[in-house]
Amino acid sequence: MASGTVVFAARKIITMNPSRPFATHVAVREGRIVATGTAEELCVGDAQLDTGFADKVLMPGFVEGHSHIMEGLMWLMPYVGAFDRRSPEGRLVTGVGDIDAIVARLKEAEAQLPDDRAALYAWGFDPLHISGRMLSRHDLDRVSTKRPVIVVHASFHINNVNTHTLERAELLHATNISGVVSGPDGLASGELQGIPARMRLFRALGNNPQSGDITEADVNRYAASACVQGVTTITDLHNDLTDQTVEVYRSATTAPDFGVRLVPALASASHKPEQAIAKLDMVREHCNDKLHYGIVKLVVDGSIQGFTARLRWPGYHNGAANGLWYIAPEELPRLVDAYHRAGIQLHIHTNGDEATELALDAVEAAQTALPRPDHRHTLQHCQMADAALFRRMKNLGVCVNLFANHLYYWGDSHYALTMGPERAARLDATGTAQRIGVPFAIHSDAPVTPLAPLFTAWCAVNRVTSGGRELGRDTEALTVEQALAAITIGAAYTLKLDHLVGSIEAGKYADFVVLEEDPLTADPRRLKDIAIWGTVLGGKARKAPRA
Amino acid sequence: MTPASAKIPVTVIGGFLGAGKTTFVNHLLATGTARTAVLVNDFGEVNVDMSLIASHDGDTMTLTNGCICCSIGTSFIDTMCRVLDAPVPYERIVIEASGVGDPWKIAEIALIEPALRLDQVIVIADGSRIVQLAGDARVGDTVRSQFDRCDIVLLNKIDLVDADGLAAARAAVQGLRPELRIVETARGAMPALAQLETGPSLSGFRVDSPSLDGTDHGAQFSSWCYRRDGAFDRAALADALADMPPQLLRLKGSCRLSGQDGRTIFQMVEKVWSVSPDTVDDIDHGSDIVLVGVGTADLPAAAMLDAILDRALVVEPVLSFTPYPAET
Repeated sequence: MASGTVVFAARKIITMNPSRPFATHVAVREGRIVATGTAEELCVGDAQLDTGFADKVLMPGFVEGHSHIMEGLMWLMPYVGAFDRRSPEGRLVTGVGDIDAIVARLKEAEAQLPDDRAALYAWGFDPLHISGRMLSRHDLDRVSTKRPVIVVHASFHINNVNTHTLERAELLHATNISGVVSGPDGLASGELQGIPARMRLFRALGNNPQSGDITEADVNRYAASACVQGVTTITDLHNDLTDQTVEVYRSATTAPDFGVRLVPALASASHKPEQAIAKLDMVREHCNDKLHYGIVKLVVDGSIQGFTARLRWPGYHNGAANGLWYIAPEELPRLVDAYHRAGIQLHIHTNGDEATELALDAVEAAQTALPRPDHRHTLQHCQMADAALFRRMKNLGVCVNLFANHLYYWGDSHYALTMGPERAARLDATGTAQRIGVPFAIHSDAPVTPLAPLFTAWCAVNRVTSGGRELGRDTEALTVEQALAAITIGAAYTLKLDHLVGSIEAGKYADFVVLEEDPLTADPRRLKDIAIWGTVLGGKARKAPRA
Repeated sequence: MTPASAKIPVTVIGGFLGAGKTTFVNHLLATGTARTAVLVNDFGEVNVDMSLIASHDGDTMTLTNGCICCSIGTSFIDTMCRVLDAPVPYERIVIEASGVGDPWKIAEIALIEPALRLDQVIVIADGSRIVQLAGDARVGDTVRSQFDRCDIVLLNKIDLVDADGLAAARAAVQGLRPELRIVETARGAMPALAQLETGPSLSGFRVDSPSLDGTDHGAQFSSWCYRRDGAFDRAALADALADMPPQLLRLKGSCRLSGQDGRTIFQMVEKVWSVSPDTVDDIDHGSDIVLVGVGTADLPAAAMLDAILDRALVVEPVLSFTPYPAET
């Protein structure tokens, strides 16, 4: 071995490289993998042996194919969701499962603020997770009557505020407007929805927390969360890529100790195709081994649990009206065609099956007009596709990234309200994708659900809801091996980075997750509980913070 | 707090992709006189005579006639705030809604934001495609819902259809809301905003539509004024408003609410209403309650409407002014 080679010894290395699936040692030089094998094969010449991981299990670093930089911003605020989450500092933040617990968490946070009447923001609330109970202004008045208290829902589309905030925004009396929900007393309940109410809120409070520029600290927090969860390649799957953001990403990713590879997707919504294509040409100059520009995101419809996804017949199980198009159906083929011709890989958000069908129609038209080998356009979420839609994906060369975490977080709502028993059983149909041979990944959409690929894999393997119901477990569940592939090489493939990351084999980046246990021999029901020591990125070990 | 008189009127322009929203915006910009701020989705399509453009900084185009045109870009809220925070307030704001959006969802800004008042929601329909679009399996529900709360429809591109096609297009719109006022338009034959005005100060007027076949599709309106001393009970008012006949299109003015000091600004458009405190007390309003309503020509008699609102008063009404009968 040439000088400068380090050989990591491990209890076991799961390579995700089918031609050499397991090893005990991996040799690394210049941040890349030289070879995998045994001590005898690799400890030759002046190779330096590192036995720090001798009792640990190495896998390729996890690849999160659909998450957002927002995850790095949220943790400046208290978390009031119903389920446990881990912070970028590695702290286990327990879920708060009822109104009293939410109020107690907020009071605790309020007590730590200076007496300056500044606003208290919190995040992660979802009434579907606490038996449909909504936070009222009276609940939040128990936190403070002197400063604004604003709770942002897990969906990011709804805010609940206290009476003080409503008074400042002059919304307490403005009932009977759809975005200002009224309470039983005829006054505003504190629930604010939609753009007009949000704008009034921001104007009354004097700031728009959702339009602030991101900072290098936010990006580093995002990278820290990645390390805690064993992620070495992470997306930021919808970004306007303003000059400011591009500069922050350049600066953060070129810092010598930056801890993750970042893959931002340019938001199509804020650009015409020719502008977007020109912008990508420009930002590609900033690409480095930890920053990978080039993909574009299109958002076709809304969310299923928000009843804004577009569904085919028979529509929503509870009879709710069909959802919203965010891109007009006649506009989508034009957009897809423009990016397809420019050689750009598209990531197309489609939650409902009508949106999925429309996206496949658009890709088919673009492929017919200009056949392009290996385009790998990828459907994101794609939660309601049936077997026929998966067969079309296969035939069109389309990949899919399924939202496995939904099974646990909203599976009960999908069974009872949105899709009903049959369609809920094939929600995020990983088994169908596997059988038909559509290249696929699974994802968290963090911060919508927690960033934690082992948890995402656990969802796809166990297919159990938070209420304990199994959804299509016999037909759609993955084996542990298949699920581990989906969070490594499968996700890398959907990002067209499978030649660089996603498996441990010669020539690729030396990106590993360091596990305390072997996920292939552990009880599959404990997959999410396997402890993560940290990661190795480009050959450099980083122990995950534990607070 | 902003006095009602100083509130900036807001016009929202909705309509499906390709209906002609941008053509209308171009027309408004070219013919604009007041300091009008126009917010558009897509700058690229805006086509204003170069001689009209005073400056152009990428996000905002300033015209020599006092109008500005702003690209909504990545954040509607940020763009809207920039317009609201202009050092010299604009006299009118026109917002182009997204082609797949519900214009009412944007119009609510003018009901919520104290500096604004809602003037009208205009939906533009492509006369050559509306029949097909309204029945389309994928977009029909989106297209139809855009008309739910609009004040007026511009049935556009009528130069592209024959008499039967025009009749079918009108029927498609009227099938959604029979009372809807429809103005026929075409490129080069578009009305000014003032011609579409339905404000409470106007009573009984018609718009001469630039229709090519010369038929008169103007609409008749009637107004009603309610004046009382005393105050409303909030809950009873909500019930009374729910009982108002559908012919009443809007109701605006000031009133007092029982248990609250000071006057309250009241706005109702269709059946959606809002109240906000009015802190300007140096204006003599005369009666405690003054509300002006505008409805379709068949608006029920004033006495009947008065009786509905009287049920919401907390004290016996003292007649301070004889309500005048609806004008047409």
